[in-house]
Amino acid sequence: MSATQKPRAAPEAPPTAPRERAPTGTPLYVHLPFCAAKCHYCDFFSVPDKGQDRAANLNAIQREAELYAPRNPRTVFIGGGTPSLLSIAELTEFLDNLERITSFRSSAVEVTAECNPESLDRDKARALLDLGVTRLSIGFQSLHDEVLQLFGRVHSVEQSFAAFESARSAGVTDLNIDLIYAIPGQTPEAWEQDLGRVLALGAEHLSAYNLTFEEETVFHRWLSQGRLAKSPEEVELAHFEVTRRLTQAAGLEAYEISNFARTNRHCRHNVNYWHNGTYLGIGPSAVSKVGATRGGNLKAILPYNRRIEASGDARTWEETPSATERLFETWWLGLRLAEGISASEARERADFSASEDPALAITAGLVADGLIEETDARFRLTARGLPLADYVARRFLAAAP
Amino acid sequence: MDTKHIRNFCIIAHIDHGKSTLADRMLEVTGSVDKRDMRAQLLDSMDLERERGITIKASAVTVYHVYKGTKYELNLIDTPGHVDFNYEVQKALQACEGALLLVDASQGVEAQTVANAYLAVEADLTVLPVINKVDLPHAQPEVVCEEIENSIGIDSSDASRVSAKSGLGVPELLDRIVEKIPAPTGLPDAPLRCLIFDAVYNEYRGIIVYMRVVDGTIKEREQIHMLGTDKVYEAVELGRFTPEMKRAGVLGPGDVGYFISNIKQLGDVRIGDTMTLYKGPKVKMLPGYRPPMHMVYADFFPTNSGDFESLREGLATLSLSDSSFSFEAVTSEALGFGFRCGFLGLLHMEIVQERLEREHDLDMIQTAPTVTYKIKLKDGTLSEIHSPGQLPNPDQYEEILEPYARVSIMVPAEFIGNVMQIAADHRGTYVRQEHLSPTRVQLLYDIPLAELIYDFFDKLKSSTRGYGTLNYDISEFKPSELVKLRILVNGNEIDALTSIVHKEQAEFRGRSAIKKMRKEIARHLFEIAIQAAVGARIIARETISALRKDVTAKCYGGDITRKRKLLEKQKAGKRRMRQIGNVDIPQKAFLAVLGGDDED
Ligand SMILES: Nc1nc2c(ncn2[C@@H]2O[C@H](COP(=O)(O)OP(=O)(O)OP(=O)(O)O)[C@@H](O)[C@H]2O)c(=O)[nH]1
Ligand code: SF4
Ligand SMILES: [Mg+2]
Repeated sequence: MSATQKPRAAPEAPPTAPRERAPTGTPLYVHLPFCAAKCHYCDFFSVPDKGQDRAANLNAIQREAELYAPRNPRTVFIGGGTPSLLSIAELTEFLDNLERITSFRSSAVEVTAECNPESLDRDKARALLDLGVTRLSIGFQSLHDEVLQLFGRVHSVEQSFAAFESARSAGVTDLNIDLIYAIPGQTPEAWEQDLGRVLALGAEHLSAYNLTFEEETVFHRWLSQGRLAKSPEEVELAHFEVTRRLTQAAGLEAYEISNFARTNRHCRHNVNYWHNGTYLGIGPSAVSKVGATRGGNLKAILPYNRRIEASGDARTWEETPSATERLFETWWLGLRLAEGISASEARERADFSASEDPALAITAGLVADGLIEETDARFRLTARGLPLADYVARRFLAAAP
Repeated sequence: MDTKHIRNFCIIAHIDHGKSTLADRMLEVTGSVDKRDMRAQLLDSMDLERERGITIKASAVTVYHVYKGTKYELNLIDTPGHVDFNYEVQKALQACEGALLLVDASQGVEAQTVANAYLAVEADLTVLPVINKVDLPHAQPEVVCEEIENSIGIDSSDASRVSAKSGLGVPELLDRIVEKIPAPTGLPDAPLRCLIFDAVYNEYRGIIVYMRVVDGTIKEREQIHMLGTDKVYEAVELGRFTPEMKRAGVLGPGDVGYFISNIKQLGDVRIGDTMTLYKGPKVKMLPGYRPPMHMVYADFFPTNSGDFESLREGLATLSLSDSSFSFEAVTSEALGFGFRCGFLGLLHMEIVQERLEREHDLDMIQTAPTVTYKIKLKDGTLSEIHSPGQLPNPDQYEEILEPYARVSIMVPAEFIGNVMQIAADHRGTYVRQEHLSPTRVQLLYDIPLAELIYDFFDKLKSSTRGYGTLNYDISEFKPSELVKLRILVNGNEIDALTSIVHKEQAEFRGRSAIKKMRKEIARHLFEIAIQAAVGARIIARETISALRKDVTAKCYGGDITRKRKLLEKQKAGKRRMRQIGNVDIPQKAFLAVLGGDDED
């Protein structure tokens, strides 16, 4: 029924089979789990920095990189967590080591680091550039201090703008800003104003996310306690439409459901995920896809460190979807992109070789329902289908064996 | 064995008073089952029985007990306690001379204690009261004896006191059975008469007939005539349940055992039929069983309309081991071909449905249960309907009569007020009340059967903290002001959701039904209107707005697996679902016209 996911081993136990280094060129993701504080909506694996032994964890991640990180990765994404929280000295040591292991500085066409306003100044931005980073992503999230407080964030709106200016003046030419919308109480009009101010900054890339209440977050608890209310669907949709209208007017392409970019400035590392490509993730909680197999690391710092030290493998799960599952997954991931996907592309990306293509019947139904459309053999979500991307995904999954 | 040394008895009680556990101890004390093979409620062999912890089918077993140096054959039948399986008790009673009336010493006399005791007395059985669970700290054997005397009128001054759990008092009880329960009266050389009281289908051996020899002796290789169905079969194997099937070759009067003849034709064996020797002396048929009275009806439709024939086969096979439900083919505009089935009660309906799904791997949609109505037509004739859809237009009939039940409710006295309230909410009329002991009362009400199945039992349980128990019998059909409540989905009437309700309740129940449907039906790409109507008048409407937004904001490398699993989980509920028009309606929505968790 679903992919065979087996727990690879009990959290503290050694792995079942030795793993190999990812093939040369494989995109690399690095998860640095520390943040100044835990945001109330955040369900990434991240932990407040207080009292943590950062060095021990960085060492373990480096060790994991030594074992598996690909040589000459095409792209690198340093996420978390808040990588900018590390000192310049820590960043230097870590990225120099990564360079020694992978030679990413010459191979990668794009090296992104996630930053938060409270820990990004001109010097750090400069240092990151010098260390081989080409692109910074800054978490603004909101243009209202009281909302930032509600979010549990530790910076002000003013700091966000200042961080952006610092990055620019340090010479960063590829900048992304993260924003969240459909916040309880927010109106589409207010969002339009905020978004206009952000777009005026002229960042090359924007990620704008509808607020979600993920399980095991403070916001989820507040929602179930009635302390917060989710915005009504019409309001969410209005925000969604405002976002598309304004970004288009500002010359950004809506290349994915929540991502907007100037020509050629889309995030190549992330586009690879939507192409259902392979990637190697290192660090606690990081997920990898090598061949047809996905697997994820432990979501806990000390056990991760211990497992890496003991056996070099911190995975807690692995799964290998079947060919049909891979094919359908490729479809719904690919449809998130404005470029769309063709049936032959999907088969190729999914390494699907059976003579009959089970996706065709599904796409025909989706076309009939006006959710996707076909031009020159490529399928794309329609204006109606865009905000229904998950429904579309379910139509594929419902047909999976 | 000489009939003098045979005792046939059954164990009867209210649900959960410990019948199956007492049977366990008897198997153990008599050394019938090895210690290592012993497990709790050993005779509850069906998966469903073990999962739910209740007995659904009566089962027979033979044990041997030595009393004053003589070996006795005891044939005991463990029966179910739930009111819906009353028919099983009645069948068991006919195969016995005595009954152990088990009463939980901490719960006291409950509704089915009384109902089953009366059945045993009516069947002319010797009834031995047994107070069980005397090990419990709240046990009150004296009070319970008083309750037995007050409610049933059986002398309980020397009732046995046992703990079926620990085995305390069980050897003494076995002695008492030998002393007090009469031996069967049949003669070994009289013309053969056997009563078929049960049957199961076995893939390899055909139908296994469970029977009791009433008169005469039956031997293997004899040609046996089933009088009712007029079929002749050779006795290929005869034996007893010990509890495994153990070949005996010969069974004499009073023996309870099985008969195998590789019978494949389901219709050839009828529960309650009499077996005799083919071409032997003419015998009178045994009285058999009165046909079961079906209290509720519901329709089963295969989820996949191509499975209609498999459903028919499943029902036919199941009806062999449960002769108490009926089925006949029906068609529904909305759901196509299916079967209208009659049941003894709601639990019975649920069990039949679950057994069909498990034992026959069928996937079904089931409509809300309904009762039988009698329609008095303009020309004065009466006709019966088993489905609300069959109700003619109001201008075609004089009046509708609905079945009323005489309901006996037993509760601790502190809950009398609550019971009166819910009885009033369910159109009940008070008959009388009796005190069983200073703290327990029996309340009698006349309540329309339709109200009982709507949600009366759930309400009774919740408003008496689980202490209230009830038993009911159909008393009479009375005219009521009833109307047809119809449900429309996007303008299409769904006949499978039509119900018959009291005029005064139509609006409230209509509203509550479509509210529940609204919760069950997922949003579609288009808006869905659900309406409740009485006659041509729409009395309530709910709208399920079109799905316009369903998208995850973030979907990166670490999210894909989790996301796929989440989406898969959301589609998992798709199984029991039927598409009507272009709306997917899940099984639960078909039960919306039933009461339950409506107030919110
Ligand atoms: N303490 C105590 N518990 C008992 C005794 N006898 C039975 N029980 C418990 O009572 C519960 C019900 O026992 P069953 O033997 O399944 O009852 P039953 O009468 O066969 O129930 P149905 O077949 O569903 O009508 C079980 O949890 C038993 O363990 C007893 O003598 N003492
Ligand atoms: S800074 Fe980012 S990773 Fe850290 S807690 Fe906040 S949202 Fe999560
Ligand atoms: Mg039982």
